[in-house]
Amino acid sequence: MHRLVNQALFGIYALAVLSVLAAALVSPAFRAAAYAPVRELLLPAPEPVRLTLHYSTEKEAWLEEVLPLFEAARPTVDGRPIVVSLKKMGSREMVLAVLDGAETPDLISPASSLQIAILHDQSPSVFGQSIASPADTVRCRSLLRTPLVVVAWKERAEALWGPSPGDDLWQRLHAAAVDPQGWAVYGHPEWGYLKFGQTNPLTSNSGFQALLLMTYAYLGKTHGLTSADILSDAGYQKWLLDLQGTISEFGSSSGTYMEAMVAFGPSKYDLIAAYESVAIEQAANAIGRYGELRVYYPPTTLWSDHPFCVLNADWVTPEKARAAQVLLDYLASVPAQRIAMLKYGYRPVAAGVSLDEPGSPFTRYAALGLQANVPSTALHIPPGAALNTLLDFWARHVQP
Amino acid sequence: MKTKLQAGLSLLMMAALALSACAAAPETAGPQVTLSIVYGSEKREWLAPLVAQFNAERHRTAHGAIIVVEAAPMGSVEAVALMLDGQLQPAVWSPASSVYVPVANAEWRKKFGHDLVTGTPNDLVLSPVVIAMWKPMAEALGWPDRALGWADITALAAAAASWETYGYPEWGRFTLGQTYPTFSNSGMVSMLAGVYTGMQKQRDLTLDDIRSSRAAELIAAAQSHITYDGNSTGFLAERMFQGGPAYLSAAVLYENLVVAQEARRLGQRDLLRWTQEQVPIVAIYPKEGTFWTNNPYILVNAPWVTDEQKAAAAAFEHFLLDRPQQLKALELGFRPAEASIPLTAPLDARHGVDVNQPQTTLEVPVADVIRAAQGLWGR
Repeated sequence: MHRLVNQALFGIYALAVLSVLAAALVSPAFRAAAYAPVRELLLPAPEPVRLTLHYSTEKEAWLEEVLPLFEAARPTVDGRPIVVSLKKMGSREMVLAVLDGAETPDLISPASSLQIAILHDQSPSVFGQSIASPADTVRCRSLLRTPLVVVAWKERAEALWGPSPGDDLWQRLHAAAVDPQGWAVYGHPEWGYLKFGQTNPLTSNSGFQALLLMTYAYLGKTHGLTSADILSDAGYQKWLLDLQGTISEFGSSSGTYMEAMVAFGPSKYDLIAAYESVAIEQAANAIGRYGELRVYYPPTTLWSDHPFCVLNADWVTPEKARAAQVLLDYLASVPAQRIAMLKYGYRPVAAGVSLDEPGSPFTRYAALGLQANVPSTALHIPPGAALNTLLDFWARHVQP
Repeated sequence: MKTKLQAGLSLLMMAALALSACAAAPETAGPQVTLSIVYGSEKREWLAPLVAQFNAERHRTAHGAIIVVEAAPMGSVEAVALMLDGQLQPAVWSPASSVYVPVANAEWRKKFGHDLVTGTPNDLVLSPVVIAMWKPMAEALGWPDRALGWADITALAAAAASWETYGYPEWGRFTLGQTYPTFSNSGMVSMLAGVYTGMQKQRDLTLDDIRSSRAAELIAAAQSHITYDGNSTGFLAERMFQGGPAYLSAAVLYENLVVAQEARRLGQRDLLRWTQEQVPIVAIYPKEGTFWTNNPYILVNAPWVTDEQKAAAAAFEHFLLDRPQQLKALELGFRPAEASIPLTAPLDARHGVDVNQPQTTLEVPVADVIRAAQGLWGR
């Protein structure tokens, strides 16, 4: 009798043990709950392809939302899973970090091809060849678009220039910012002096774009900016530096600067140069804080085309380059693009997503002054040499 | 034969079981990392309970060390001096505002060859600098219909104006309280505001301005008629509210301290200690402009800060910026740094404040100007 009981118990025990062993070998979920070295011994896991992506800060919320969706689909290249790690940085900061060897990302995504033009210009002297080029639309893919605008507190902007600034937006802004009487000229002495803000062009793309727009506006040009334009025109230099001199605190990055405008309110910033997308992202927050924002399209603008560039560097293996394209294909897909538009106010590149879809912020926040067809003339990106001249000039004369 | 077979099978089963499903090792106490923080006392009511909560939750770094936060409140300016002479070696410094950071960086460079503050620290909570005044006194001066400012308050303090003129002899003379500019942020910015106002400027305060005889007169006059009390704004606020109108008529404080006091007075949070009628306090937002406190969370760039402490600092910062903690800041009268949180009660007239204020700011001067002004005060 005892023997039968022993045999029965042993049988049950054996069954349980074999079941656990089988589950540990077969089921990933079970394996995650309990360390199972047998599986590792018999079936080694494929080594993932690890990509590092450095990106400009205003894309943070979108990337942090869509990247888990990408990874949940278990993307692979040559049977190896793709794992992406993100690092947010200022647009120019990320380019400088690559040029001085501090960072070796596989992909970078500054806010604009302006930064890629600079990298294209300067990387040959460091790496022996250009490691990214705006002209290479296979390795550099624009995945989001947003124009540079002036974002203002509505009450203050309407006191400044009524319903619209017209074509001389920068000239009117300049005159008000440098005027020692400040807002008193416009009937509001209690608002003090006019406070215009932008980010630091040495680290952040939107500040750099604002400098270019001001420069083109003063010179009356839409293309063909040269280093000589910047260095030989004393009137331009004084005009630019007088306006830049009114800014006491330059932001370090575009997304956080827009958030600060809303967090502190109009006492700190009356108007700032920023991306249309960050204004959309903060529109509802602004109403909960201090009032309505308004977006003004300058007569000419620069588009932030958010290039995602697979660097042509020796640390980017062919396998990594293929994995990067799998990632970029996903980011360009309709689902990811729809999230970018609906939730974060970017203009999509995917043909299957339109600005007037249900729930579009371009409809919801029309009162912000948003326009589907941007009325500004798009400026041409100057050559890298002229861009560097402008930045050097600013660095030498402005104390941020 | 059968016995040998059974024994063999048993051994095999035991081996399979051991290899298949080893339970995780039970959690042990493990290593700890102490995160020392010095911070401006105006945020003590918000930060101290959060330190206790964070510690109780036993957060760990990526290496598994349990993070233990030790936080000490003190004057924003005072903390830098103590760090420079080695009396304090915190990993994180959170002054009331970034106003003093350029000066702190300059002092730090002299000693360590690099800046104290690198990168762009995140703001934890926001609050404007205000003139806190007993409500009946403010109304006697014409508030809220009449906008008041630094010039008005300075003139009253300089004249040691008698409240009898306004029909309130029982209040004695007008007294204005302020912290020491050499120790505390609010005292320092109040001094700068006095110079700005006296020189009828709101921006572009220069070294020539500070070196002028006019600036010296303004600062000397302020020293003669201001009641200096305390190295840190939170402590000054406590003494003003406990001392009542007979001690100070007004003090340069932060908006959140007014809200917190009014919440106590209204019995919303401290019923047991509410024993007598207290006089309401209101926040006056100086019409000439004011300064903001942004309470930056600064990782100290010093040789004594280890990598593990940096990781711990990042974890605690993330905790403080998380929505529940930001909502607690609102409850205590701060304007949250998280812009998605609307400005609702207790930031309201009932608690003596107005979220549509301030309407403008005074420009933060460059480091050399601030240091020169502090030097004038020190004479």
